[in-house]
Amino acid sequence: MNQWAFVVAAYGVTAAGTAIMSFVSWRTMRRAETAAEALPGRA
Amino acid sequence: MHRFANPARFLKIARPLTGWLFWPGLLLLIAGAACGLWLTPADYLQGDTVRILYIHVPAAWLGMGGWTGIALAALMQLVWRHPLAGVAGRAIAAPGALFTAICLATGSIWGRPTWGTWWEWDGRMTSMLVLFFLYLGYIALANASARQGQAAGQGGVSTVTAIFGLVGAVNIPIINRSVVWWNSLHQGPSITLRGSSIDGSLLWPLGLTLLGFTLWFAAIVLMRMRAILAQNKVEARMQRLARG
Amino acid sequence: MKAKHQRLILALAALVAITGAGLLAVSALRDEAAYFYAPGDVKTKGVEPGKAIRLGGMVVKGSLKRAPDGVTIRFDVTDGKATVPATFSGIAPDLFKEGSGVVAEGAFDGKGVFVATNLLAKHDERYMPRELEGMNYNETTHEMKTER
Repeated sequence: MNQWAFVVAAYGVTAAGTAIMSFVSWRTMRRAETAAEALPGRA
Repeated sequence: MHRFANPARFLKIARPLTGWLFWPGLLLLIAGAACGLWLTPADYLQGDTVRILYIHVPAAWLGMGGWTGIALAALMQLVWRHPLAGVAGRAIAAPGALFTAICLATGSIWGRPTWGTWWEWDGRMTSMLVLFFLYLGYIALANASARQGQAAGQGGVSTVTAIFGLVGAVNIPIINRSVVWWNSLHQGPSITLRGSSIDGSLLWPLGLTLLGFTLWFAAIVLMRMRAILAQNKVEARMQRLARG
Repeated sequence: MKAKHQRLILALAALVAITGAGLLAVSALRDEAAYFYAPGDVKTKGVEPGKAIRLGGMVVKGSLKRAPDGVTIRFDVTDGKATVPATFSGIAPDLFKEGSGVVAEGAFDGKGVFVATNLLAKHDERYMPRELEGMNYNETTHEMKTER
């Protein structure tokens, strides 16, 4: 099989994992911090 | 370190630091990967598949470095009762597990064209798979203790979870030395204290991806720590309201 | 003594004990966890014919020969201490070549020939561009391991 097929597969797996982890971590942080800021009164 | 025990003080530094780590890290790892894909020569023996090196090695480093971080956080939690240690341990677990999985996946994809197999139970691969299962165990334990509201003052990481994190660190030197102690299909270490057996013309993008992935990983850990701290704040307020 | 110091000593003692136990277990497993037998191991320990094992070593330069049937290959595997003849019928991986590493799955026949049912190529820790192939390897900075 073409060597590049393996290279592309490996980089693809890594890129997908990195992108998903970035997005999920950012979204979780954003939601949690928004909820914390919306708390009434002083902490 | 106890200067950062106060979450407000920690957040004051963590908020701007997150972006300062994330974007340079992402830029460096993309640049390193691009250089590794298009600028470096192919290997004399493996040809172009050698390019998997530039992501496989950082993934292995982050998988093992992540557990080292969990073990250090566990030590700080158990000994110094540092209030952020548990938060840090929990924040490291998911990206650490992801990169252990990426290391296994890219290694498998690399093994097929070079060795002629997707998977073999040799020392290096088996010990790395054990690390992945350790991560899953840690995540399950930490989630359980956080959900039950145990160890609220320890970032949701119960003492048992922290001990698990500390004990699991035994696997790290085993992974590192597995190719030296045992006959293995995986080759020996390329980069040692004596130097590198990777020619300089192939080696340099690895420095970029290693640094880039490390900065990016630190940014992800900060994001997840910030999320846990904010969630804790909301939960603490809810409980205070419920109690009236 | 402060409670903090007690906990520190306790944690470190536990860590040392666990590491020691782990390393002890690993060293006890040393032979069992070996992924393959080297020809030198075969010579010293002896492997009975018909027992399924993996044999790993270097393919001796000049020993690779193709049988008249076109699918069977014969080659010698060495680790510097002993040399074992081997045969294999089938498709070898691309990286399988003379002077390179191999891990063969199979068993010895009655005449001391290793009959492989599967071949895996094992490469060493060196990576370099094609132009550098065959140039003198700098043995002072990073030696080639002789045990493989």
